[in-house]
Amino acid sequence: MSTPATDYVIETVALSKRYGRKLALDHLDLRIPRGRIHAIVGANGAGKSTLFRVLLGFLPPTVGQARILGRDSQRLRPEDRARIGFVNEEHTLPGWMKVAAVTAMQRHQYPRWNQHAYDEVLGHYHVLPEQKVAQLSRGERAGLNLALALAQGPELLVLDEPTLGLDVVAKRAFLESLMYSNAAEQCTVIYCSHQMEEIERIADNLIILERGQLKNMSAPEEFCARVTHWVADIPFKGPDPATVPGLLQLQRLDGLHHYLVLDQDEDFAEFLRASGARSIQSMPVSLDRAVNGFLTKNHAAPAQPQRQH
Amino acid sequence: MWDMFKAEMQRFRIWAIAYAVLQLVILGFMTRVVDLAQQPRLVYEVLAGVYAVTGLLLGLYQMGGYRKPNTWMNLLHRPIPHGKLAAVLVGAGALQLAVAIVLPLWLLAGWQEFMTARVVDHRHLLLGVSAWLIAVCAYLAGAYAMLANRRYGYSGIALLSWLVFSQATGLGAIAVQLITLAMLAGMVWVAFKPDLGAAPHTLPRTFFTAVPLQLAMWLALVMAGFGIEFLWIAQGSHPNNAPVPAAGGEKESENAEGKDLMVMGLRGSRDPQAPLWREQAQISEVFSFGPGLRATPVRNELVNIVPMEFDDEQHRIRWVFSHDRMRLEGYSLVDYRSVGELGVEGDAPFPEPVMPGPENSLIGTTRVYQYDSDQKRVMPRLRLPAGERITGYDRVGDDLALLSDRAVYFYDGRDLAASDGMLTPRQRLAIPGKVGDLYRADAIELLDGYLVSFLFSRSAHNAEGALPYQQMTRIDDQGNAMPIMRRDLKSGFPALWRYQNWFPAPVIYELQRAARRLFAGYQITDDTARPPVPRQVAVIAGVLMLLSLLGAVWWTRKTDLSMSARIAWIVACGVLSLPALMSLRLIHPRREVLQPQRVAQPALA
Repeated sequence: MSTPATDYVIETVALSKRYGRKLALDHLDLRIPRGRIHAIVGANGAGKSTLFRVLLGFLPPTVGQARILGRDSQRLRPEDRARIGFVNEEHTLPGWMKVAAVTAMQRHQYPRWNQHAYDEVLGHYHVLPEQKVAQLSRGERAGLNLALALAQGPELLVLDEPTLGLDVVAKRAFLESLMYSNAAEQCTVIYCSHQMEEIERIADNLIILERGQLKNMSAPEEFCARVTHWVADIPFKGPDPATVPGLLQLQRLDGLHHYLVLDQDEDFAEFLRASGARSIQSMPVSLDRAVNGFLTKNHAAPAQPQRQH
Repeated sequence: MWDMFKAEMQRFRIWAIAYAVLQLVILGFMTRVVDLAQQPRLVYEVLAGVYAVTGLLLGLYQMGGYRKPNTWMNLLHRPIPHGKLAAVLVGAGALQLAVAIVLPLWLLAGWQEFMTARVVDHRHLLLGVSAWLIAVCAYLAGAYAMLANRRYGYSGIALLSWLVFSQATGLGAIAVQLITLAMLAGMVWVAFKPDLGAAPHTLPRTFFTAVPLQLAMWLALVMAGFGIEFLWIAQGSHPNNAPVPAAGGEKESENAEGKDLMVMGLRGSRDPQAPLWREQAQISEVFSFGPGLRATPVRNELVNIVPMEFDDEQHRIRWVFSHDRMRLEGYSLVDYRSVGELGVEGDAPFPEPVMPGPENSLIGTTRVYQYDSDQKRVMPRLRLPAGERITGYDRVGDDLALLSDRAVYFYDGRDLAASDGMLTPRQRLAIPGKVGDLYRADAIELLDGYLVSFLFSRSAHNAEGALPYQQMTRIDDQGNAMPIMRRDLKSGFPALWRYQNWFPAPVIYELQRAARRLFAGYQITDDTARPPVPRQVAVIAGVLMLLSLLGAVWWTRKTDLSMSARIAWIVACGVLSLPALMSLRLIHPRREVLQPQRVAQPALA
């Protein structure tokens, strides 16, 4: 039975997953095209890990469908798994094994093993074959994990927060080994991270999940262009935040109102003037600021207690 | 695959080797002090418990390490069928246990066989295999506990109870262990899947999940009964610990002195001699010869009922029975060198294994032998008719009483000392009941024969045996037996209590009963007269089965089971009663649905 041809490496239709009373994935319709590096970002609890677990067949959806490389995610066969590389945040490799033994094991298990890709990635790290995995630093373990995953020759490589807990040097080494790997160029990469500077460097496509829903799918620069930072000198209180269109964040610093807004053009300046602004300044924002502003918009906070009169 | 197997072996190799060395040191020391091949059953049971705990911990630890979500994904997300992965990990675990457990045992057995005059039979090598099988079973139960859904992962441990309560011996015990192992391997195979919490949906997977779980649920109900019994005992009104046993009850008779029991048995008798016998019972010596032998040795049994050896103090020789040679093998207690073999009447092999009894006797299943220290000879002295088995052997005054599963045979005790031939019984008195129910037998000598009291109450407290009664019988010197009086005793246990393990699940009760007896052969303790189930108990069992069926109809509508699976579960609950319904609830929780209303979100920041 051949794998159905499809233009999408990942395709979900109304995918929902419920844990008790909480929806981790909420009618998620997601289509990730083949090729390039796709970054998935979202706050903790946005449903990223749940999505990966469903996609790899480790969790059944409550309703909806999920396909990965054209195959129903709940019916993945060993051959399908050979085509999907997966690197998780913990880099869970058997600590009692030597690097050479882990490599040999993977080499025998994956028919499309690419020794050159392995050597190319591991060349960024000072890892010796006779070292035990448990003796490697977290960064070296991440590098080894990436090397093993890329050497499998996957069509799709899923990286679930691979740089979590790594120091600056290790992060840089990891990203460089990914970016300059020929093997990575030949497959579709799904990169899940909270590190916006990483996303900015490597991602061609930015996918934002929030509370299990797809909120954005575009190039990172396109998303940045949607978010603007306005500084207005408004005496007194300023407009009611509920009336501010597209408001993501509001801060009052040194008597100035700082508005981070989504999808607002020059009309927003008119709105501020109408609200009593004496001077207005608009500026672009970094991807980090844009995504953080977007994600913190609906960030949960304790409900305000009602005052007793 | 081989790489993964090697890796898993590497993971625990230090522990396995250390365990083997430690065991070698401890058992090696013990074997210098005692003969480990000739220990009573309890010693082997303790060792089996240690091996089981070892296996259980290994299973819990090994699979516990893999169960963490990311580790599990890393393990299973590879181009290898999950069944093969499971086989590799389990195979490595089983081999580690073989290294840690069997290797030292066989090394010690080899040392004992080739370096000492002690007896080592093939059954002792099988005992090592049995130890390994027990450890592997417990290992698989531990692995299943880690991998299966937490709602029912413990059921593998419940399945181990079969090993504890099975009555099978020898190769039969090995067979039971292999069946348990196969079942547990199937359970691990079912649990070893990407989604660890997923309910089984195919017939084989449901079988491997539901069968042990239903046993576990039944055991849980049994344990609940124990809990109530503990409260009953603590409260002080339990028949077994009441300050004064109830008059006319089974406990009063079980605890009574022989003479009092005789008097109670004759109370109400219309026999003209009853008053005389009552007086005589008060002043005569009462001899108890109750079934002291609940089991006799079986050839190639893995463990001994009692050590199969006795010492000839006169010649300072220890004689040990060899199942392989079917003879006694002796070694000197002075220099521990072999002194040769001893068979029946010289060198003939024993037809059945024998264990040491009182007064230099050796007791088999159908015969009693006597060891003559002066001549260093073993002579057959008593023999039961074909088809009967020895269940007791005692002195009754100067005479001997040999109790079989059907009758008591009285012999003239003086002949035992005066001759060395086969003795002929003077009288045969049929047991007025089943030997498995017989709690005690007491006799007084009359001028012409014996007056014998049989108390049948051994299994009266549960659904396994006859309701308690006492039967008085007289037998004269000519062997004419005459029933004198039957006294039905009050049971301190109400019918619902006696059948507490039966009525929640009659079919499971009978299945576990059959499972315990599988490959066990004849068991004296099971040779009972089970009374018919009281009507009220049967009605309650029927009502529970009906309620379970209705409960299954109601619950399966809330699950995502297919129609055929629903029907199968409903039928199963109707037949298997409460444990099946409890299993259904645990295996198939309420269908996961999207609710229209979401969780209320807090106010926006």
